[in-house]
Amino acid sequence: MNPQLEGIEQIPGTYAFDLRISNRTLKINRFFWNMIGADWRARFVADEEGTMDAAGLTEEEKALVRARDWLGLVQHGVNFFVLEKFGRVVKKTNLEIYAIMRGESFEEFMKTRLVPDAR
Amino acid sequence: MARIIGGIGSSHVPTIGVAYDKGKQNDPAWAPLFDGYKPVAAWLAEKQADVLVFFYNDHCTTFFFDMYPTFALGVGASFPIADEGAGLRNLPAIRGNVDFQAHIAESLVNDEFDITVFQDKPIDHGCASPLPLLWPHQPDWPGTVVPVAINVLQYPLPTARRCYRLGQAVRRAVESYPEDLKVVVVGTGGLSHQVHGERTGFNNTEWDMEFLRLLEEDPEALTRMKHADYVRLGGAESVEQIMWLSMRGALGTGPLRKLHQNYYLATTTAMTVVLYEEGEPVARQAGQAAAAVA
Repeated sequence: MNPQLEGIEQIPGTYAFDLRISNRTLKINRFFWNMIGADWRARFVADEEGTMDAAGLTEEEKALVRARDWLGLVQHGVNFFVLEKFGRVVKKTNLEIYAIMRGESFEEFMKTRLVPDAR
Repeated sequence: MARIIGGIGSSHVPTIGVAYDKGKQNDPAWAPLFDGYKPVAAWLAEKQADVLVFFYNDHCTTFFFDMYPTFALGVGASFPIADEGAGLRNLPAIRGNVDFQAHIAESLVNDEFDITVFQDKPIDHGCASPLPLLWPHQPDWPGTVVPVAINVLQYPLPTARRCYRLGQAVRRAVESYPEDLKVVVVGTGGLSHQVHGERTGFNNTEWDMEFLRLLEEDPEALTRMKHADYVRLGGAESVEQIMWLSMRGALGTGPLRKLHQNYYLATTTAMTVVLYEEGEPVARQAGQAAAAVA
């Protein structure tokens, strides 16, 4: 256990991204990281299943991607900062992804914010 | 001799870049954010800063987790602003002074801060989100940037104390450069926010204010905190505030004069910008002046 993270397991709804997780999820994180390349994005849009095969995703991971299960992907060990690149490709804003991770509709979520009109 | 003339703490929310590019500077929901940067931009213009040393984090754009540097310094005359999945932004490439960047790398390594050096790589919103709010970019940026990327994504992260010491080492590096350059150090990230998991949307304004007070008056207290403390108090991604400690470390151990602060929590991140110079705080100066008059 990293002593800097002592007690972090007691913080709810939080998933610290460490080397053990990163090692287990390197392929799916790379799959999302590749979305910074216009060629990879075009290839994904044209052939979602083919790009997932090429990236070496497991069946469980493919199901999470197909379902656009944002919270499930985070819980599986995907880092949010590659996930947000995927968000741009499938036309979801970060605020929309936040609402989904909290289990709220977008309108419900924005009502909890101090400036609900800031988009 | 090069010298540090001030320090800036700033959020680096990607949405700031999106709102900027869409021209939302006067949108009622965004004006409090953009207006809050104007005094800082005016100060930079007035002081004619030559260089911004940016302590920022890459968001898994320039680097991937297969080789993720703890500390990395960019050397190059030009760094393109990265495509992060939504295409390219209409901003000129970030400019660099290769000799100064190389000097800082040499000084850091000889000072036992064995930093990674990157070249010819794009840079993401960690640096590019606040940059156009600080400096004009038409026709081109008025100065150069020393990008210093810090790992705040993949644990183990450098400790808060190590980030503070990095700033101290950067100060020694700047002050050992023979050319007269006016340098401003910038720490980016925060303040309170969490953007993953069910706890997404967490904020803590009370802690944000305490963090700013400690940063100014007792940064050592912040260096003793663990990453888990930052996560608990400010939300998971607020741990990136350890990068503000690098900026603080580079400003020396004396008192700071806070010239400006803007805090705007609109949706999920407490978007903050603060400007410091070294010297006695403004309030204390004013008090002394009043006492002198009396």
